[in-house]
Amino acid sequence: MNTEASSSTLTPFYLPDFCTSRAALGVVLIVELTALILTLAHDSAALSFWSDLARSSVFLLWIGLAGAALLCGARDRLKKMPVAKGSTAVLALIVGLVVIVSEGTFLAGRSEFIESAGAGTLFPSDHWSFVGRNVGISFVVTSLALRYFYVTHQWRRNVEMQARARVHALQARIRPHFLFNSMNTIASLTRTDPARAELAVQDLADLFRANLSEKRNTITLEQEIEVAQIYQRIEHLRLGDRLRVIWNVAPLPKSALVPGLMLQPLLENAIYHGIEPRPNGGAVTVTGESSGGLITIVVRNPVQQCESEHEGNHLALANIRERLALMYGERALVKAGRFDDEYIVTLRFPHVESLAKLTA
Amino acid sequence: MKLRTLIVDDEAPARERLKSLLAELENTQIVGEAMNGEQALQLVVDLSPDVVLLDVRMPGMDGLEAAHHLSSLVEPPAVIFTTAYDEYAVNAFDAQAVGYLLKPIRKEKLVAALQQAGRLTRPQLQKLTAAGAGTEHRTHIAARHREGIRLIPIEEILFFLAQQKYTTVRHAKGEDLIEDSLRVLEEELGSQFVRIHRNALVNVRHLDAIDRNPEGQYTVRVRGSTDALQVSRRMAGELKERFRI
Repeated sequence: MNTEASSSTLTPFYLPDFCTSRAALGVVLIVELTALILTLAHDSAALSFWSDLARSSVFLLWIGLAGAALLCGARDRLKKMPVAKGSTAVLALIVGLVVIVSEGTFLAGRSEFIESAGAGTLFPSDHWSFVGRNVGISFVVTSLALRYFYVTHQWRRNVEMQARARVHALQARIRPHFLFNSMNTIASLTRTDPARAELAVQDLADLFRANLSEKRNTITLEQEIEVAQIYQRIEHLRLGDRLRVIWNVAPLPKSALVPGLMLQPLLENAIYHGIEPRPNGGAVTVTGESSGGLITIVVRNPVQQCESEHEGNHLALANIRERLALMYGERALVKAGRFDDEYIVTLRFPHVESLAKLTA
Repeated sequence: MKLRTLIVDDEAPARERLKSLLAELENTQIVGEAMNGEQALQLVVDLSPDVVLLDVRMPGMDGLEAAHHLSSLVEPPAVIFTTAYDEYAVNAFDAQAVGYLLKPIRKEKLVAALQQAGRLTRPQLQKLTAAGAGTEHRTHIAARHREGIRLIPIEEILFFLAQQKYTTVRHAKGEDLIEDSLRVLEEELGSQFVRIHRNALVNVRHLDAIDRNPEGQYTVRVRGSTDALQVSRRMAGELKERFRI
């Protein structure tokens, strides 16, 4: 388990809240299962199976419920710790508790009250072997439980992230502004230049197909660049000479896999915020590089002097960032910001050509 | 008599479409087309059309600002806004009963809008601006003069001085009178300008020096002007704070 890398991103802490009755029930269940395993494995001549199970259950319930109370009380502190440190602390707490309860049980077995009641056989006879074995067992069981909680937590987080990414993807769909302006352009072209109008309708159809596609989660870089260029073609009809896009993407590996609609929204942002507000237009530059197994794509556009950051821009970026993270984990990077009179977005992600490698 | 129309849109296909639609109408005549607000104002002055079909979203001076400046003309034309998609603007137009057309424009709607087209009033325009139908502030100040209006880019303005009835605009190319009050101007251009006196609003961009005479009076010098503008005692504190002196 790569706790070091994920610790920074893993908030809140992965353990469930032991202060709830639901969690307490879970603890009782784990305790009883452990007691069952121990009793089944324990070949005791002195006691019947049921007595043995009852004895283990009582002992383990003490530990389980006291442990839950301990974790409930320490929750606020544990939450602030990174995963590795928090897990170690939980492990230490539980093992420490087991030592104390074991010691207490052993001493109780030696007390006069128990001796006189004739229940001495129910208690352990060998002091160090008893405590030592309990420490070992609690260490293994707690580790397993921690691992279980960690994995379920990660899984739930992933499900949530995917759901959120899907919502964002919906929101990031092509701007209505673009759709209606394109429709207007086509309406105009049908009279003046029917051939170009036809091309524009085909382009718009392709663009929407890419947008609505269910399989758009992963496509090749070549396909993605093509979608962006189709988009550029439609905008070009409308904006004419005001729009220039410079593509320096020859070094990019065509078959590398990327999340669909990663580049087109960036181009759309660059045109909407960078080119359209300028009376004389300007140039958007798309530069691609590939080296050391990493692909870098940089989109830059000129910005107005007193232009502030835009809501739509952030939404699109957040969406791309999330989808890249979903696909490549922490190996992907999205940077965006203003540098002098340019707005620059940088995407960096690993060069992967097969889905099998991606999930590995 | 034919209705004389002016088409204003930054996108060539959009202008083409309006031209071909208008060409099919019997009683309309296209007198010109403009690509942005500045051009539109110039053409309105030169050609005095009856109706202006004005795109809302344009680079530079947008449609709403152009409409503002148009309304300061002696005989402003009627205005019909056009837009492809702009929720804010459309809601504001509806609320103020201002004529507008959604692109792609239908011929019937165009005919109806031309028949109903009216002049915009100042209160209407102010409400449109308040509703966020255009950009936050003007890019130009319009001053009326003999041949029509002069547009002064905000960045070229040195300062505004309030007179009894009018406000003087001192700018790179001279001086003009406008009707806006300093209060309105300050509210709109607040971040780029600084109020130094009850009667003076100065462009921060052109601020050159802040001097103090032996009596403790502050004055401000502005690049491109020889005047020393008085800073009132009340404003001196704010001024010092803003420039950390």
